Amino acid sequence: MTLREQIRRNYLMTAVLLGFFTLLIGAIAAALFAVYGAGAAIAVAIGGLAWGLFSWFLSTGVVSSVTGARPVTKAEQPELYRIVENLSIAAGLPATPEVRIVDDPAPNAFAAGRNSKTCYVCVTTGLLQTMDHRELEGVISHELAHVQHRDVRLMTLVAVLVGVIAMVSDIALRMLFFSGARRRGSSPADLVVLAIGIVGLILAPLAAIGIQLAISRRREYLADAGGAEISGDAEGLALALRKLLDDPREIRDTSRSTAHLYIEGPLRKASGPRAIFSGLFDTHPPLEDRIARLEQIGGFTLPPESPAPAVA
Amino acid sequence: MVVLIVVVVIVVVLLLVLAFAFNHLVRLRNETEAGWSNIDVQLKRRNDLIPNLVEAVKGYAAHERGLFDEVTQARANVSSGGGPAATAAASDQLSQGVGRLFAVAENYPQLRASENFQELQSELTDTEDKIAAARRYYNSVVQTYNSAIQSFPALLYAGILGFRRREFFAAEDSERAAPQVSTAS
Repeated sequence: MTLREQIRRNYLMTAVLLGFFTLLIGAIAAALFAVYGAGAAIAVAIGGLAWGLFSWFLSTGVVSSVTGARPVTKAEQPELYRIVENLSIAAGLPATPEVRIVDDPAPNAFAAGRNSKTCYVCVTTGLLQTMDHRELEGVISHELAHVQHRDVRLMTLVAVLVGVIAMVSDIALRMLFFSGARRRGSSPADLVVLAIGIVGLILAPLAAIGIQLAISRRREYLADAGGAEISGDAEGLALALRKLLDDPREIRDTSRSTAHLYIEGPLRKASGPRAIFSGLFDTHPPLEDRIARLEQIGGFTLPPESPAPAVA
Repeated sequence: MVVLIVVVVIVVVLLLVLAFAFNHLVRLRNETEAGWSNIDVQLKRRNDLIPNLVEAVKGYAAHERGLFDEVTQARANVSSGGGPAATAAASDQLSQGVGRLFAVAENYPQLRASENFQELQSELTDTEDKIAAARRYYNSVVQTYNSAIQSFPALLYAGILGFRRREFFAAEDSERAAPQVSTAS
């Protein structure tokens, strides 16, 4: 697939996944309507909407406090700053995002902020030590592609939807539990419907998280392709991803709520029984896959082993 | 009555579709203009730096008069306008001239050691990088815009509504293939 084809395909897949989301919400609404009637369904819908709006407006500024990023000036980090400046021009961003640094030996980076004016790009000190100029350009181009694609806003919206679905299912289950006494003794058909409803309400939040993570992985592929377009150097980004693959260190202080923002999934080193499901519950696709797609875009092949695993 | 309603609905839908298509083209055209002004800003910045560079080198290598004239002429050509392709040609020529000025400066250790000169050199290198970045963005949005006004059904009305093809920022004789970037690491 060429660059343009990959980008188109990723947009399409995001749309399909958002469609699944709508279906899921519709199914929950239908279930509520069937079990409790219109009044309860409308009440829950209003409650869900209010909760959604509340968490949407509350979600600003959470990230920087979680990760402890500090802003840096051009004088402190001229090379990094120039890379961000130049790639912002290449990406056609209206302004250069703020540059921040986190003190952490693990190489990683993320972009945050909901629109292209308030956004910032953050790298770890470990990243600056590990990556050379070209690889750093690759990493920054990936982050700026996230900014360009409005991914922070999209993923915040998706997280809010997941929260609403979890809350609504929870309320519905409780209502079922308390009103169960009145319904006891009805026909077997009713019981089957009830059982399906309960199972559905338990599974709905899980399905929502599954869709959320699938969208997150989709956006990572898209940011890789977009980053390659911005920098014009797919190989540089692939080399950077290779270094991340070789580096065993993980960033501290990350939670699921911010995991999707990083260039490399910070929670990827699952092992044991969890690893079986990790494909489904990862925020990021495997680095090997991402490198393979970049090789397709750029028409190059990385040597099987990186020449010298850099450990700073 | 029913026929009238159907006709009205069809007309309204058509108008809406047209409005969206029109706005889409306007947005793309605005992007190309923003892209062009990005290039323009960087070209101006480089043009502002060049007299200082010429003066600095002149102090040591006054005999390179031909090169100074060439650079000064290329600088004037860049700012004289004349469309993206012509400006790109002039800009490429100026880049080469600047490169040769730096090559000349290599022969004068005292010049190279001066702090003023080093700052000038890093500013100019940075500006060249920014021109390359702005060029990449501009050419990519021009490509999107040009193919949008040439595809069906936009090609039927784009011309009438004043959407004209835009030139790439690339010298005409040079190959305008995928904008490849040098990957000096």
